[in-house]
Amino acid sequence: MEAYLLNLVILISIYSTLAVTLNFIMGYAGIYSLAHAVFFGVGAYAGTFMAMHFNASIFITIPVAMLAGAVLSLILALPALRVRGEYFVAASLGLQVLAVTIFSEWKAVTGGIGGLIGIPPLDILGLEVFKPSQFIFVTVGVLVIVLIIINRLVHSSFGRSLRAIRDSESAAAAFGKNVPLIKTISVVISSALTAVAGVLYASYLSFINVESFMLDTSVLIMAMVIIGGTGTQAGPIVGAALLLILPSIISYLDFLPQTEIGSIQQIIYGLGMALLMIYRPGGIVGRKKQSEAGKE
Amino acid sequence: MLALQLMITGLQTGALYALTAVGFSLIFGSTRIFHFAHGATFIIAAYLFYFVNVSGFGVTLGVIAATAGAIVFGLLLNRFVYVPIQRDEGSFFTVFVASFGIGIVIQNVVGMIFGRGYVTVQTPLSFSVELMDGLYVSPLAWISMLCAAIFFGILWCFLKYSNLGLSLRALADNPDLVRVFGLNPRFISSCAFTIGSILVVPAAIISGATTGLNPAMGHHVMLISLAATIVGGIGSVAGTLLAGLALGLAESLALLYVDSQWTEAVTFAILFLFIIVRPSGLLGRSAAH
Amino acid sequence: MVSSSTDTQEVLMEIRNVDKAFGGVKAVDNVSMDLRAGIITTLVGPNGAGKTTLFNLITGELTKDSGTIKWLGQPINRIKPFKAARAGILRTFQDLRLFNEMSVEENVLTSVEANSVPAPMTKSQRTARSEKVEYALNRAGLFSKRNIRAKDLAYAERKFLSMARVMATDARLWLLDEPASGLDPNSYEKFLEILREEVKQGVTVCIIEHNLDIVIGISDRIAFLDRGKLLADDEPQTVLNDPELRAIYFGERT
Repeated sequence: MEAYLLNLVILISIYSTLAVTLNFIMGYAGIYSLAHAVFFGVGAYAGTFMAMHFNASIFITIPVAMLAGAVLSLILALPALRVRGEYFVAASLGLQVLAVTIFSEWKAVTGGIGGLIGIPPLDILGLEVFKPSQFIFVTVGVLVIVLIIINRLVHSSFGRSLRAIRDSESAAAAFGKNVPLIKTISVVISSALTAVAGVLYASYLSFINVESFMLDTSVLIMAMVIIGGTGTQAGPIVGAALLLILPSIISYLDFLPQTEIGSIQQIIYGLGMALLMIYRPGGIVGRKKQSEAGKE
Repeated sequence: MLALQLMITGLQTGALYALTAVGFSLIFGSTRIFHFAHGATFIIAAYLFYFVNVSGFGVTLGVIAATAGAIVFGLLLNRFVYVPIQRDEGSFFTVFVASFGIGIVIQNVVGMIFGRGYVTVQTPLSFSVELMDGLYVSPLAWISMLCAAIFFGILWCFLKYSNLGLSLRALADNPDLVRVFGLNPRFISSCAFTIGSILVVPAAIISGATTGLNPAMGHHVMLISLAATIVGGIGSVAGTLLAGLALGLAESLALLYVDSQWTEAVTFAILFLFIIVRPSGLLGRSAAH
Repeated sequence: MVSSSTDTQEVLMEIRNVDKAFGGVKAVDNVSMDLRAGIITTLVGPNGAGKTTLFNLITGELTKDSGTIKWLGQPINRIKPFKAARAGILRTFQDLRLFNEMSVEENVLTSVEANSVPAPMTKSQRTARSEKVEYALNRAGLFSKRNIRAKDLAYAERKFLSMARVMATDARLWLLDEPASGLDPNSYEKFLEILREEVKQGVTVCIIEHNLDIVIGISDRIAFLDRGKLLADDEPQTVLNDPELRAIYFGERT
């Protein structure tokens, strides 16, 4: 039971990091990405590559992973964010599909479909962290750091610009905000932080393959943010916890077909997303729908 | 000969892509609803046809069931999801997420009923005929192209000559016209969903008989639809048609140079190139805000 | 055109032969006019005359088909909206476009911070910034509501917040798109007072307005647009007494 709980908390903190970083662009900048799992994967593969071939120190693996995530997101964001929001959805969906092919084909780095095994534990100043009872401090610690960084960003003038863009892009531009630049920077920051979660994930499981970084994962992370509450601080964490506990709850309910847990989980959160959008777009943590104010 | 073979396959794929994408483009253009569940409409039509067919009711009933299923799904979604959302706020985000959520539900419900693996519909038309030395073409290729020609012919007449069609086109050009012309937006959007959903049906049925079906295909359908809409130019039905055809051809001809797992990468490359070089698309106007 | 007293003012913005067509319709048709420093120029004309389109062309929200616009002597023909703002040209929107989910104070703060990426600030810059925000909030009568979300304000308050966002900045030219429409008499008296006060302090204003009382009350100069064409650009009395223009102007109401 203790091992089960430890594992659950570690996974929740890793997925919370992913949800929090996605929420940063979705909730505060109004950018909808279907490629979040790509940057998660790029972080995992880049970190693993460094750890297996050069050095497992987190002071090497994490910066390299962040750089890889940042550069890739820059290539995507620079052109796609100059134009309307729909273009980014389309471009990110395309990138996600392309990335799965690359993750399965680039055997030298990703190990192909079979993936990579024997990924070294995290090396923090010579200390090897692999026991779940130690690892939990790292993942929760990283989550807290990411939360602090994003919280500070959101409440800085940069964050104000982001929120202004979300509320009215044309008004933000009319008051001197370089909208494409601000959006691009936010995507790059978000992707770099996402890559950190990838490093932790790979090292924790000591095994990764493409299945963790497919479209389903991007969708899962998006569902976590939306169900928890877009643009709120606690929402993504609540969403991540809820959706990761969901399979266990389903498995307690004997009347449901146990071979279909994955599908039932997806049906529940798919339905949850649609219903929330109709009745409570702010998510569980967010404000109730206000149908009167704010119409323009 | 290989190039010719691929060209014909490409036209077949492209014709089906064009039909599907124009369906999405028409809905998006005239209602501004980012109908991500368009992929789910495809899945519903395809599996209904498959189900009716394997149950032994034959092709005609299958086609009727698929068409009815697609239309009913599109209309229900519009009535019970999009309309309530748009009544209050209707931002791009809420509509997109709700649509996306419904897509996930359909994918998994279909997966639970029919399994997550590939299924194919066996028809006598699936078998390829050797036209020339080394050139194999299944009758379905001709049927796809004929279907596309007929559907687009009807759509063209409809958009050009009927009042309703004119309103749809006017809306795609300028969404604010609803108010100006005093059109009934509810009625217009129901029409857009009906037509858009019907356009998916040929592709859904023929795909079942050629490449096979899989509940997760909806995302592929959406990628193609989005790519064709953007490459063709948002709001331009003709542009989307051309782009869909071009994407199908490009995917197929790319096989001369790369393995089949890279075909979707070709779509992405074309989409990305357009976003960089010509964001307004082939026939679109400015893509700025 | 007859010379008039405002002709002597320095020209801030020079608009020459500007055209813009949508589809086949000319929304702005060969418009040439000057915006002169320190005065209020009012754009009047029936709906669809091209007034807002002209604003959009000035700030770069739309691209001109042809013609030139000069700002402080420099051509700004392909300017982007955010650069226009940084050059000192600010505008309001007919539909306000407030930052709805943000507080009243944040709305004003955002408009003061014209940079995209935060730059470190000295203490005196920080004080200057909060003074500007406080000033604008006080002028607009919103100081006590500064922590309320913009979307929760009443209609008139929202209009004043839209003004406060402009007032807090150092912009030289304000393009105001129907800022007083729908205000009750009390509120628009207050609005006129604010506007006169700001112009006295050196701001130049170009305003789109329908209400004749307001037009008469504030205009130093009136530019009359109809179907994209500039029919007059002169002293208020000259324009308002022109029988032809009066016919177009009042014709719209019936």
